[in-house]
Amino acid sequence: MPDGSGHMQPYLDQALEGASNLVGSGVDWIDALRRAGADAYGTHGLPKRRDEYWRYTNLNALADEEFRLANGAPAIGLPSLPHKLVAELATYRVVVVNGRLRPDLCALDGLPDDVLVSGLEDLMAAAPARLEPYLGKIIRLDEMPMAALNTAFLRDGMAMFVGDRVVLDKPVHLISITAPGDRPLMVQPRHLVVLGKNASATLIETHITAEGGSSFNNIVAELHMDDGAKLNHFVFQEEAETSVHLSGTAVAMGADTTYDSFVLQSGGAIGRSEIHAYLNGTGGDCRLDGVYLASDKQVVDNTTFVEHAAPGCRSRQVYKGVLDGQSRGVFQGKVHVLRDAQQTDGHQLSRALLLSPRAEIDARPELEIYADDVKCSHGATAGELDDDSLFYLLSRGIPREDARRMLIEAFLSEAIAEIPLEQVAEDFTTHVRQWLANNVGSARGQD
Amino acid sequence: MALLEIKNLHATVDDKPILNGLDLTIGGGEVHAIMGPNGSGKSTLSYVLSGRDGYEVTGGEVLFDGKNLLEMEADERAREGVFLAFQYPVEIPGVTSITFLRTAVNAVRQHHGESPFDAMDFVKYIREKAAGLNVSDDMLKRAVNTGFSGGEKKRMEILQMAALDPKLAILDETDSGLDIDALKVVAEGVNAMRSDERGLLVITHYQRLLDYIVPDHVHVLAKGRIVKSGGKELAHELEESGYAEFLEDAA
Repeated sequence: MPDGSGHMQPYLDQALEGASNLVGSGVDWIDALRRAGADAYGTHGLPKRRDEYWRYTNLNALADEEFRLANGAPAIGLPSLPHKLVAELATYRVVVVNGRLRPDLCALDGLPDDVLVSGLEDLMAAAPARLEPYLGKIIRLDEMPMAALNTAFLRDGMAMFVGDRVVLDKPVHLISITAPGDRPLMVQPRHLVVLGKNASATLIETHITAEGGSSFNNIVAELHMDDGAKLNHFVFQEEAETSVHLSGTAVAMGADTTYDSFVLQSGGAIGRSEIHAYLNGTGGDCRLDGVYLASDKQVVDNTTFVEHAAPGCRSRQVYKGVLDGQSRGVFQGKVHVLRDAQQTDGHQLSRALLLSPRAEIDARPELEIYADDVKCSHGATAGELDDDSLFYLLSRGIPREDARRMLIEAFLSEAIAEIPLEQVAEDFTTHVRQWLANNVGSARGQD
Repeated sequence: MALLEIKNLHATVDDKPILNGLDLTIGGGEVHAIMGPNGSGKSTLSYVLSGRDGYEVTGGEVLFDGKNLLEMEADERAREGVFLAFQYPVEIPGVTSITFLRTAVNAVRQHHGESPFDAMDFVKYIREKAAGLNVSDDMLKRAVNTGFSGGEKKRMEILQMAALDPKLAILDETDSGLDIDALKVVAEGVNAMRSDERGLLVITHYQRLLDYIVPDHVHVLAKGRIVKSGGKELAHELEESGYAEFLEDAA
């Protein structure tokens, strides 16, 4: 609704209406946090093309259509997952449907001592003090307006605490299902992960959409890593083409932490993965990688912000994408090196393959450096398949479409090969192959 | 019927005429060498025969086993039995050599109605071919030509030729970038493939390669045409006299 300043703030009303009835209401800090979210979103409004980090991803769809907040989790069963090996992997399973924990679908038996995996709302009711030092502490509401909106709706999702020195024996698999009905559905899941000193864990996220109408999934995850902690984080974003998927992740990294993230995005009418990593202690090592696949009129956005606040940290980013049809890819990556962050080693690279003359990539790698003893680089490439390589394969009798698929897969496999968990790497590869089989067909030879 | 018949072939690259009425006939079991100065059209001929995009045929015809070669796409020509050993083999990171070889060999096998190799059978098949060429399992596991030395790349080309078993092999400046020992290995690999059915077209600037792959016929290419043909002794004459007389004659 317009407030006179030209801002549109759709969904703010829905957040304010519901807030007083939520768990945690009456707890001062929770009230204050929800209010801060509503205020920040209200001030900023729905992101517009004027906003520096929303220049290429247009959210008008969210203003044109009114999505209604999901009313509880429908009683759907666990659907078959699109990735076979990860589905068969021994994991601790957390299932969230329409932003609400579904305890009956979770599998959390045998969690080690000093590890808690729970619904956020349950914990907010039972032990809010446990959440207070962490929840809402690292999301910069003024820099992430959609995360601010999520904060205004703050209610449920996954909360995970891993105690000091605990090495979690199995990955945690967070399965997020959006189950729209026949009217446009909105979900606002909120996840919190806290790793103690020298704790180590693997988190796999799967985002899928059940059959139904359009949906808007606005997710926020906050990851706190105490000194020496290690987190491997893999994300499959495979929502339906009727979905707007916006994900905002903030990770606070203590000294000598390692955060290794890999995001595969191929779903959604709009799919955005925004990751803010704060290297707050010396010796932190942050790796943000991703692969994306888009066709038709999809928009796939990878936006990263890496802040080197402490000396001697390393960050690496490699994003690779394949764009077909009239799809658009967006890479916006900023490495921000503060004055004290000497001996920073920061690199970022965006590479896109354009399979169609109407596909587009907007790449904006950015370095902002205030320290004087740093090693930083960035780069972006975009182009078509290499003619020499294609002819080489053709000249060996490999049919043109097979040759194109081989070269595209090869282009992506260099990134996927870096994934340290074999089942994830294989499932990503399988997914890429299926996508290529569906999208790189014999009718499209244009090279 | 000849294996390959090139009649009055004209071709352009970027609208610039490169081949200007080239005639050449190669029979099964014959080894022909084409020699010529830089810019005479040697590499263009190899690309026109193998069907590379951007090489436009503006006149003439090419029959391969009696079929119109120029109507076929590059991949189809390869499956029909035309093989080009590249002067500069292409590096393809992300595709292992063994996968590449198996995909190619199976494409050719299926084209001829044979069943494709499974992974295990293919390893046996390719190891046998690789042994004589000093291509190690390690090379087969690495990405295609990626980080290979000049010698390794050329050995891999010949391995591909052996694996694909073409009717006609075109060797484009196969000696470039090779020292004498590497050249001998490659030449032995090529000679091992000489047979009564297979035709070889060896394109080279220097006579050196022809000491090891001895041709039945030698042709001089200048300004896009064959200007002189002879036996293997012609290569030695050229080594003595150079190409200057042909450049003048053809002008």
